[in-house]
Amino acid sequence: MINAMIKWMQRYEGWVGAGGALCLLAGLYLSLVASPPDYYQGEVVRIMYIHVPLVQTAMLAYSVLFAGSLWYLWKRDPIVDNLCHAAAGISAFLTAAGLITGSIWAKPTWNTWWTWDARLVSFAVMFLILVGYLMLRTFVDDPEREARYAAVLAIVGFVDLPIVHFSVEWWRTLHQPLSISMRGVALSGEMLRPLIVMSIGFSALFVYLLMVRTQMLYLTRLLHAKKGRLLSHAHLSDLDT
Amino acid sequence: MPFFRVIRWVAWKDLISEIRSRETISSMFFFALIVILVFSFSFSMDQSETRELIAGIIWVAFAFTGIIGLGKSFSAELQNDCLEHLQISPASKGAIYLGKLAANLLFMLIVEIILFPMFVIFFNLDVVEQLPVLLLIFALATLGLSTVGTLFSAMTVQIRAREVMLPILLLPLAVPVMIAAVEATRGALNGSPIAMYGNWLQLLAVFDVVFTVMSFWVFEWILDS
Repeated sequence: MINAMIKWMQRYEGWVGAGGALCLLAGLYLSLVASPPDYYQGEVVRIMYIHVPLVQTAMLAYSVLFAGSLWYLWKRDPIVDNLCHAAAGISAFLTAAGLITGSIWAKPTWNTWWTWDARLVSFAVMFLILVGYLMLRTFVDDPEREARYAAVLAIVGFVDLPIVHFSVEWWRTLHQPLSISMRGVALSGEMLRPLIVMSIGFSALFVYLLMVRTQMLYLTRLLHAKKGRLLSHAHLSDLDT
Repeated sequence: MPFFRVIRWVAWKDLISEIRSRETISSMFFFALIVILVFSFSFSMDQSETRELIAGIIWVAFAFTGIIGLGKSFSAELQNDCLEHLQISPASKGAIYLGKLAANLLFMLIVEIILFPMFVIFFNLDVVEQLPVLLLIFALATLGLSTVGTLFSAMTVQIRAREVMLPILLLPLAVPVMIAAVEATRGALNGSPIAMYGNWLQLLAVFDVVFTVMSFWVFEWILDS
């Protein structure tokens, strides 16, 4: 299982990375040069092509983390734990980047850097949960226990986020309605196309990073295990002489 | 041992050791007094401003004191390897969780009920008619804090830096509880009709149910050596 997954990652990571890079290059051209400025927001709207895919990918990454955590608690595959750890780190980074780009976009359009709006607060809470998750992992000594606790925290946090969103929505909200929702798309084709290309590019970037980081964490674990064995071996031979 | 007996015994054990040592409740109480004192220095309280701020102050004090109590709940089990005995006991882990939850809920509510008159006195509140609904709000919101709190207390007691990690994990997840508790308490203290803030009570109830069920289910993976 572990070897198959690592081999699969090694085989495809280059393709995913290259595909993502191509999509991002094309998407940057489409969004910064080819697409028209917004009727109301002018050139400012172009940050949307970065901000929205970042946020979408951050949520995708947390969803992967959630699914992986359930899978880990069920099957106890160490490689799935590495995958979760990788997804959490990338998700935390994407969430931070999403919050920052959102802030930059909010200043000209809402005339404020930050507001206590439902999506902003739930995203900030998601960031805090992910940081807590990464901190928790550094404080547990036993790797098996670390994986178990982290998985539980990821699941509990995932269930909490809709409730956070809902509660802040009742409390106060200001966000513009989602441009792409179940009820249809409220964007013109010229703006939708670059957005989709950028979303695909960011998702591919995420998958690529996930593959690389998972392998890295897997190798680190392997190295620690080998080092531990070597050390205990050295210790035993010391005792012999 | 039958499921409900485990719950009762675990809660009873915590209660007995608290009655004998009086550690948790007294430290929670004096910590909360200090929090109130700090707040009254930080904001110069006029009658009009108090009304707007007091609900938030009450819940910040309650949440911080709660964290002290929750942290002690499982760190007390470290003495004499009690935690390991809980881990290896054949009793249902969910029942152990519910017993600990009951004890934590009880300690927090006792402290809140002792503290609330202090708020009434220091901040000159008028609460007699609102007491039943305030008690309901306290009970629902405290249950919300202690469901997640008991789970994370058991988790953080077995790791390094536990005093830091408990609030870091608990407070972000408790955001809905804090918002709902503050809004409902403000509504009640302002004397508004319950229809104005009833939806916050519903939100608290939903949070309580979701996280009690969920913590009950995942506790098996926390208290597992």
